[in-house]
Amino acid sequence: MLEIRSARKTFYRGQADEKIALDGLNLKLATGEFGVVIGSNGAGKSSMLNAISGSLGLDSGQILVNGSDVSNMPVHKRAVRLARVFQDPMKGTAASMTVAENMLLADLRSTRRTLRRGLTAARLATYRERLSILGLGLENRMDTRVELLSGGQRQSLSLIMAVGGSPDLLLLDEHTAALDPRTADIVMDATVRAVDALKLTTLMVTHNMQHAVDFGHRVIMLDAGRVRLEIAGEEKAKVTVPDLIGHFSVKTDRMLLAS
Amino acid sequence: MMDFVQTTFASFISLIPVTLAQSLILSFVVLGIMIPFRMLSFPDLTSEGAFPLGGCVCGVLLAGGASPVTAISCALLAGFVAGCCTAFIHLRFRIHTLLAGILMMTMLYSINLRIMGKSNLSVFGSPTVFDWVPFAQPGFPVSKIVAAGLLALVVFIVLNLFFKTEQGTAVRAVGANPDMAEAQGINVWAATIGGVGLAGAFSALSGAVMVQSQGFADVNMGLGILINGLAALMIGEAIVGKQTVWRQLTAPFVGAVVYYQLVSLCLAAGMPPPDLKLATGLFVLAMLALPSLRRSRGAGAPARETFRE
Repeated sequence: MLEIRSARKTFYRGQADEKIALDGLNLKLATGEFGVVIGSNGAGKSSMLNAISGSLGLDSGQILVNGSDVSNMPVHKRAVRLARVFQDPMKGTAASMTVAENMLLADLRSTRRTLRRGLTAARLATYRERLSILGLGLENRMDTRVELLSGGQRQSLSLIMAVGGSPDLLLLDEHTAALDPRTADIVMDATVRAVDALKLTTLMVTHNMQHAVDFGHRVIMLDAGRVRLEIAGEEKAKVTVPDLIGHFSVKTDRMLLAS
Repeated sequence: MMDFVQTTFASFISLIPVTLAQSLILSFVVLGIMIPFRMLSFPDLTSEGAFPLGGCVCGVLLAGGASPVTAISCALLAGFVAGCCTAFIHLRFRIHTLLAGILMMTMLYSINLRIMGKSNLSVFGSPTVFDWVPFAQPGFPVSKIVAAGLLALVVFIVLNLFFKTEQGTAVRAVGANPDMAEAQGINVWAATIGGVGLAGAFSALSGAVMVQSQGFADVNMGLGILINGLAALMIGEAIVGKQTVWRQLTAPFVGAVVYYQLVSLCLAAGMPPPDLKLATGLFVLAMLALPSLRRSRGAGAPARETFRE
């Protein structure tokens, strides 16, 4: 499970362009829960994911994964427990390395890397099987360098790499935003199947309201660095796209009145 | 005309063994340039300082009566530390890799002078690793070719095996995409420092063996070694390619051997030695510029390589 306790982060503190990214953010995600994060640009969605993964240090506050405080751990140590799929398909894979080598790197995420041979026959067979679930034929292109794959194929590979070791926490950072609608559906479909099958604790950031309506157990709306709204249970099952967009406009009106 | 070709050819042929011995020794610098450049996307200039560092350490120890193997081991260690320092300067202070390398090689010049206490040191007559080659007269190219060739073969095989292990794959991932590597639980600092350190160690190894081969150490022995090494690497990559680990690791050795034979041919043909650096520089420029020239003509050349800043 994931818990964020009053996380605060200010960029350019004390300067004219001071920007509060996280303003005492609190969030709890139970084990096996699938949370969908929405919010306008600059609401703090990316800052929150970066704070969880460790690439952004907090000014104050704590982040707990499975009950233990990871706030002061570097990115590579946190990676033992959490996996992440980036928005940019280029970011989540090593372009000049082969599909098989990328799978190996992800496979070793939570273990100690040894001086034994990396790509053994047994591992290759496992990786082929995992990739075949996608139905993209990647299992027959194990020795292809990833830079030769399309964006959708790369993102699908990133997803399989991320869910491979059943991480304690899966972070999806607008992972279908850079894809064409059809490929986005394929990747989203694969995501939901993997999350359901492995009962992964998942936090997905998205700008796609339809995805927010269709998937996940809870919608979390961020605004100005804190949680503005949470919709779960019955209410989540009944929520529609216009409802969600309505919440955005309420917020905008309030901003207009405040200014 | 016939005469010119004949004399050129004759002197080139007579120089082949000496040049081969020299190129095998220098192939380790080329390796020390290739590892950061290609495996870690960390263009590095440390070798220009690490090569004479290895030479000076080896020279002083030989002059002090140490065994050739001890001298080489200490040189390796010194080169490793130098490489680690460059990587640390880059990582900790976010200084560009090239600038970090320039800082390191400049500082190493003073350190090398301090180590030797003077600008050059003769170790002629000291025992060398070449003395142990059986059936070959010490001091002749054959013993050097056998010793340096064996060493190169061992290093090549070990590195080839290493880069296919779990750890070796992780090190390559750091070069391919540092952000992704970190997100996959790889310690980017450790891999970068270790990798650049290893490269520094190879450059120093080359310097140490060179000192044993030529019989003296000189603080200026690294002058221009980098551009020579780069030229050799470009030739090697043009011949064997760089698509796989095996090819990428073969390139420095093949490149070194071919490049120094070409230099020898140019010199035999009467090229004045002072012009050599200009010619080498132009050659490296041409090799580096080729992809961008091809692209501007509209051919489907691969995207420009990205390096860490």
